[in-house]
Amino acid sequence: MADALTNAPAPAQGAARGPRRLGAALSATEVDLRLFGMLVALVGILIGFHIMSGGKLIQPANMITLAVQASGTAIMATGMVLIIVSRNIDLSVGSIVGVVAMSYALLMTDWLPALGLGLDAPFQWLIALAIGLGIGATIGGFQGFLIAYVGIPAFIVTLGGLLSLRGVVWLMSSGAAVSGLQSEFRKIGGGVLGSIGETATWIVAGVACVAIVALIVYNRRQRQRFGFPVRPMWAEVILGAIGCAVVIGLAAFANSNYLPAGLATQYAAEHGITEPPGGLKVPLGFPWPVLLVIGVTLVMTFLATRRRFGRYVYAYGGNPDAADLAGINTRWTIMKTFVLMGVLCAVAAAIASARLNGATLDVGQSDELYVIAAAVVGGTSFAGGVGTIPGAILGAFVMQSLAYGLSFNGVNSPTQNVVAGIVLIVAVGLDTYNRRRGGGK
Amino acid sequence: MVIRRLAPILAIVALVLAACTNGGNGESQAAGSEGASGDCTVAVSWNNFQQPRWAAKDQPNIKETVEAGGGTYIEADANLDTVQQLTDIESLIGQGADVLILLAQDTAGVGPALEAAANAGVPVIAYDRLIESEEILYITFDNVGVGRAEAEAMFEAVPEGNYVLIKGDPGDPNASTFLPLGWDEAGLQDKIDSGEITIVADQFTDAWDTQTAQNNMEAIIDSANADDIQIDAVLAENDSTALGVVAALQAKGYDPIPVSGQDGDTANLQNVAKGLQYVDVWKDANELGKAAGAAALQLCENPDLASVTIPDGLVNPDVAPTAGLSVADFTTPGPDGEPDSGDENVVNSFILQPQPITAENLDLILDSGWLTKDVLCEGVEADSAPPACQ
Amino acid sequence: MAGASSATEGPTPLVEMRNIQVSFGGVRAVDDVSVEVYPGEVLGLVGGNGAGKSTLIRTLSGAHPADSGEILVDGKPQVIDNPRDAKDLNIECIYQQLALADNVDAPANVFLGREMTTSWGTLDDGAMENETRKVMGRLNPNFTRFKQPVVSLSGGQRQAVAIARAVHFNARIMIMDEPTAALGPAETAQVHHLIQQLKSEGLGIFLISHDIHDVFDLSDRISVMYHGRLVGTVRKADVTPDDVLAMIILGKKPDEATREELADLRA
Repeated sequence: MADALTNAPAPAQGAARGPRRLGAALSATEVDLRLFGMLVALVGILIGFHIMSGGKLIQPANMITLAVQASGTAIMATGMVLIIVSRNIDLSVGSIVGVVAMSYALLMTDWLPALGLGLDAPFQWLIALAIGLGIGATIGGFQGFLIAYVGIPAFIVTLGGLLSLRGVVWLMSSGAAVSGLQSEFRKIGGGVLGSIGETATWIVAGVACVAIVALIVYNRRQRQRFGFPVRPMWAEVILGAIGCAVVIGLAAFANSNYLPAGLATQYAAEHGITEPPGGLKVPLGFPWPVLLVIGVTLVMTFLATRRRFGRYVYAYGGNPDAADLAGINTRWTIMKTFVLMGVLCAVAAAIASARLNGATLDVGQSDELYVIAAAVVGGTSFAGGVGTIPGAILGAFVMQSLAYGLSFNGVNSPTQNVVAGIVLIVAVGLDTYNRRRGGGK
Repeated sequence: MVIRRLAPILAIVALVLAACTNGGNGESQAAGSEGASGDCTVAVSWNNFQQPRWAAKDQPNIKETVEAGGGTYIEADANLDTVQQLTDIESLIGQGADVLILLAQDTAGVGPALEAAANAGVPVIAYDRLIESEEILYITFDNVGVGRAEAEAMFEAVPEGNYVLIKGDPGDPNASTFLPLGWDEAGLQDKIDSGEITIVADQFTDAWDTQTAQNNMEAIIDSANADDIQIDAVLAENDSTALGVVAALQAKGYDPIPVSGQDGDTANLQNVAKGLQYVDVWKDANELGKAAGAAALQLCENPDLASVTIPDGLVNPDVAPTAGLSVADFTTPGPDGEPDSGDENVVNSFILQPQPITAENLDLILDSGWLTKDVLCEGVEADSAPPACQ
Repeated sequence: MAGASSATEGPTPLVEMRNIQVSFGGVRAVDDVSVEVYPGEVLGLVGGNGAGKSTLIRTLSGAHPADSGEILVDGKPQVIDNPRDAKDLNIECIYQQLALADNVDAPANVFLGREMTTSWGTLDDGAMENETRKVMGRLNPNFTRFKQPVVSLSGGQRQAVAIARAVHFNARIMIMDEPTAALGPAETAQVHHLIQQLKSEGLGIFLISHDIHDVFDLSDRISVMYHGRLVGTVRKADVTPDDVLAMIILGKKPDEATREELADLRA
């Protein structure tokens, strides 16, 4: 198996005769089989619940709900991957979300209006957002400093963060929930008002498709530059076609999610359209949280695989001494992972508070457990050095699909927790077993 | 290098600071106060100080009443942890508590603490949450009455149709027993039996968590949409869950439908003013705190639970127990949660009355000083404003 | 270019370490040690466990700066506070544990900390792989697993990667700490061949080894350490393996040891 993942020279005869075995074909495409397996598992879970619900689960509206509910955890999980890979942990993410969410709410309803920037001031929400991101980065930086430069173990520092920051939320709000956010900001939370609409969705899909093709072409050129073996042409074309198909399919799926009848009528009235019998179907398209997840995934994957920062994080995780001896500024690298985590928490907090149109004392409570679980289910190992960003995203979706599927089918929350725990153990157990057998990545 | 050596010390300091900031909300004994009644130390063991209501309403009133009567106030917070609560109570007794006001995290699990208190001769007031024991003074709002008020208001708005039931934490007897009992007293089960009301979904919400309620409600709406079922009303047991329910309905583009709640949380009352929540059963916790504080002071003088009375004029008459200002008997459901099964306890009690608040009578909130008009009416649009906001 | 066996002793050593002191707590791990290496020469550094060889060499590689003492490169005093400083002076070190990051591949390890980037600032993996192929081609022509994490390579292959890293960056001074300890005979022979090659290119090499025969095969001069001190530096041509063993075990030069001590050794 390990050999199959190496740069096998392009089978010249193979290209002429076409793929013989599925295994050979898959290895020629160099797809990460582990990720692929997780994707299969996710689909399996959804299909299972679909059957349990009598064929009602897998529909655009529901899948969009699921995606929005998973978005916060998924975004934070990408940062957690880098932290766990570099042999650290961050237990404070839920509390950081709590503090930043409360900050957004108080900024928009209280502090900024006191400075003359009320809810109707243009871009008031952007200022609140920027400040919130800054707060997240600062908290992350402070914890990162204590961990990387002072040398206090990450477990202790972030445990302290978890406890004390939750208390800070309370102090900020004097124990009360705060609500009534700016309407532009609320779009970040998705829902019927927080989607980008049909045209924009098609544009996003088109851009994504072009980007996928461009990336494939670029990678091929890079390899050819040095005369390295490249994937057979048919594999490149198929990958590109599948990639585009997936993106366009997702867009079509999102565009099959329609505005509810009442709002559609309103929309028709506002745009001077006469409603056809059966009501006007106004496609909603991608919701903002989903776009944020996609954006964060792209940026984090880029950082992890294409920048020195990512290389150093993984190298440090693999062998901290080797990284030090190679002259890498390992402390700065570690600190950056925590700053990044803080920023990602602030993004997740924006989604959470936008969804709630406010903040309560317990926003983000226990998030750290699900974020860590998502990263681990997605293949990140506590030994360090191993883990992928896309895996964590899939892990988050797997965890959320369980919660949503159970809820959809009317199963109570204690049972949901039991199932989540079992799945976590099974997923990691399977992964450990595979690693031992495969002896490779 | 020096910093590395300091690291363990810094870690310990950080941990200690963290524990102090969070647990206990750190009020140890106030500087010695002697009053006419001598040194009466009243200890309060909270189960979850994080929920908005306790710090904003109950605590200040208990504290004020106790200190005005010359007593000393001490407290501890168990942060939703049953074992932590036992430790808290032991430490409060150790600090010299004369009376214990106890908000039980787990009504069954608090047994050892009651023993410890009895051994130390410390009378126990069960505050808001029931404790299944004969040896307590139960001061609470009529939780069954709260349920009844919630359902009665909702049935006025939506007498027939599809209902969603959103309940609180499954381990809390209020959520699992008392409130649903009240709902049935108002006629819920009858309406279900007669087919007037169909229950679309019935879910508990871990820790009464708002986000959990929001996620669950979204899934319920999706499921209902898949079956082409329109949801007409949501019976939510309290405000924190109701907040999540309202957010879910908005995200799904539902026109506002009646939603219930209790506690009178600010954000929810604002929603009532905006027409997003139909009824909020308000338990003026200020009054509950005063009653408990006064009862505690009396117990310092005379530990006989049956002889406690609420001083005349202390508590708002609309809120005061219908049974009068002396203790009344209250029959608990018993540890098995089933009334009339033979294991019930009869305890001394003060059962205060809740007041359902709808858009029509928001002035009660303003009159009592619970909220100011600016806060209550924030974001309310002039053309749809309730009477109190005009 | 000098032949393989005799060092060219020009007036200026390539590297000179003077009066190096390193202490851990109260223990003097390296106590006033002075050694030097000339271009095209191999200096064998030997001693028992805890003699201080690795510690001494780590002051040169930047892994653990000396408490006091001087280091001169080409006759000029230099400050080496961290591994980067050493690499900037073209000093490369192959550590006993190889210092490879197991979870990344060979090119990543060769270029660890000194990655090649594209004009956009992203990692130029293609170029790094290309360079690695060239270097490994000289060292181990049969090596093909460039994309696999190095944890899955054999001991000899991992060694080759570590050497490739040192060789690629135009080292002028090479430190090798037990380079053949984990290798079989064929691979050991390869390493020997490589060292000869590097010598002939004018590099100065510190070779730490506990294998007397390896040391004798490869070194031109031998420095012996004992409990942190330098016992002495001898030319290989002037001594026998037994003499060196005596220095290692007794901590004294052969002509200083008593007859009884030497007899005990041979017993």
